Amino acid sequence: MLAMIKRNLLLYFRDHSGVFFSLLGALISFVLYLVFLKQNMLTSWHQMPDAKPLLDTWLIGGTLAITSITTTLTSLALMVTDKEKHIADDLTLTDAGPLRLFTSYLISAAVIGTLTQLAMFGIMWGGFYLTDGLTLSGTAVLNTLGLMVTSSLLAVVVNAAIVQGIHTVDSLGKLGTIIGTAAGFLVGKYIPIGALPSFAQSMVKFIPGSYVAALYRQFLMDDKLKSAFAGHLATRHTFERLMGIRLNWSTLLTQQETYLIMGLIFSGTVALVFGLKWLQIQRRRQYLRER
Amino acid sequence: MLLEAHHLTKTFGEHIAVNAVDLQIEKGSFTALLGPNGAGKSTTMNMLIGLLQPTAGQVTYDHTPKLGVVFQGSVLDDILTVRENLQIRAGQYRHVPADRVTVLSQQLGLTAFMAQRYGTLSGGQRRRVDIARALINEPDILFLDEPTTGLDIQTRLAIWTLIQRLQREKQLTVILTTHYLDEADSADNVIVIDHGRILAQGTAADIKTRYAADRLTLTSPDVAQLAARVARQPIRRTANQLVFSLPTMQAALDILTANRPLISNFEFRPGTMDDAFLALTGKEMR
Repeated sequence: MLAMIKRNLLLYFRDHSGVFFSLLGALISFVLYLVFLKQNMLTSWHQMPDAKPLLDTWLIGGTLAITSITTTLTSLALMVTDKEKHIADDLTLTDAGPLRLFTSYLISAAVIGTLTQLAMFGIMWGGFYLTDGLTLSGTAVLNTLGLMVTSSLLAVVVNAAIVQGIHTVDSLGKLGTIIGTAAGFLVGKYIPIGALPSFAQSMVKFIPGSYVAALYRQFLMDDKLKSAFAGHLATRHTFERLMGIRLNWSTLLTQQETYLIMGLIFSGTVALVFGLKWLQIQRRRQYLRER
Repeated sequence: MLLEAHHLTKTFGEHIAVNAVDLQIEKGSFTALLGPNGAGKSTTMNMLIGLLQPTAGQVTYDHTPKLGVVFQGSVLDDILTVRENLQIRAGQYRHVPADRVTVLSQQLGLTAFMAQRYGTLSGGQRRRVDIARALINEPDILFLDEPTTGLDIQTRLAIWTLIQRLQREKQLTVILTTHYLDEADSADNVIVIDHGRILAQGTAADIKTRYAADRLTLTSPDVAQLAARVARQPIRRTANQLVFSLPTMQAALDILTANRPLISNFEFRPGTMDDAFLALTGKEMR
């Protein structure tokens, strides 16, 4: 399995232009936001203290959530490519076994997802440090780093559930475009969830990435929120609900609850994805036993 | 028998790709599956390997074999070096000695380009790397799907010699598909397949004697008189030449001795694999 993970990572990182465009893909929505939407948002927040660092960290959170979704999806394309080019046939002849091969695709995609988020975080924070003097506390950074791993794992299994039904690289590319376009809206990155109609709000709450985005924002914005809303807890909660910093079920979700929901989604999807794979393998075994 | 296939059949919708094929493969033997494009060779091979589920019929091995497969297309990664490719595959097998890749690279003459990316190799170099990959787990049976297609004549010869050497030295059982007839000539066992059916089976010599007629070309100053004296109908006749298709060499000798004064020159060509193949599979293109 290690050999296979090494192969997948080598294939990804040796393709320099692939890595570049993958980063650029994640960065483009960020840049577009800065160019087209940031000023608009700042104007509407004019009466708020610390508006700039709040908006900056809010944006970083949303972008990282999107990055985890899109980069893991692109990395899983290798699984489809291998199937299409009959490399998978060659791999099944080895002693690695289909379940371990499958797991190695998932692990390498999660590693790539984490590293790309790390790079994105560095770029965005560096950028805002230079323009707005943005600083972050050690706790905020540590929590963010931990969430990069968690969010990649979650995105990988959710994407794997989708990718299992896809057999050509061409259709995967088209799906990637659809997901990449929709994701920004679905996790409430471009437009705050509070500004959406109620149907769209419910939809956002169905997307696993929304919980990731919410957690990122909680970790990154906490200090800023504390100082901006000192002594105005109710106003702070309204702001958190409007901006998708905490998602609202019947009450605003706490950090623990958000993590729990993510954990449940993760375990459910893992069971689904590996269950399907296991069934596939069993069917194959049956035939092998016959001979 | 190391491997037996019984009534192996594969259909894709209405199309019957392989039709009730029976095969026996002996340990240490060299079998060539010979057939035109689309004859069902690769489908048969994929069922023997276990990559494709037969619609009907069975494949039986006498024990769980270690398989090595050289696929028709490349299954290694273009942007990785030869060493990386082989080392990664070796890592996916249990009980492969640490120096296996190095040993193989020396045996197959890959040392000069081990650090080169697989995608930059020539066709012949790639094929040798593909074969090295198939040999990583020291297989009992080596399957090769059209290993020499698209290679120049020197490279074909080199690859062919390599496969034969491996069979001899390692007691490997080799099964390969090809549509080059001269290659089938040196196999122990030739199986001619077309439209998913086995048309002929045996050694190359067997098949040639059975299906390829010998050809006798006579040059004569008096073609008309010569034609009258030979009981057989010539298959071609020109102003000074007659061409006969004959079942045996003996028949040719009889004609030559009986008509010696009338013959100014002759050419005798024994039946080739090409003749047998065309006689078996017909002349239309696929």
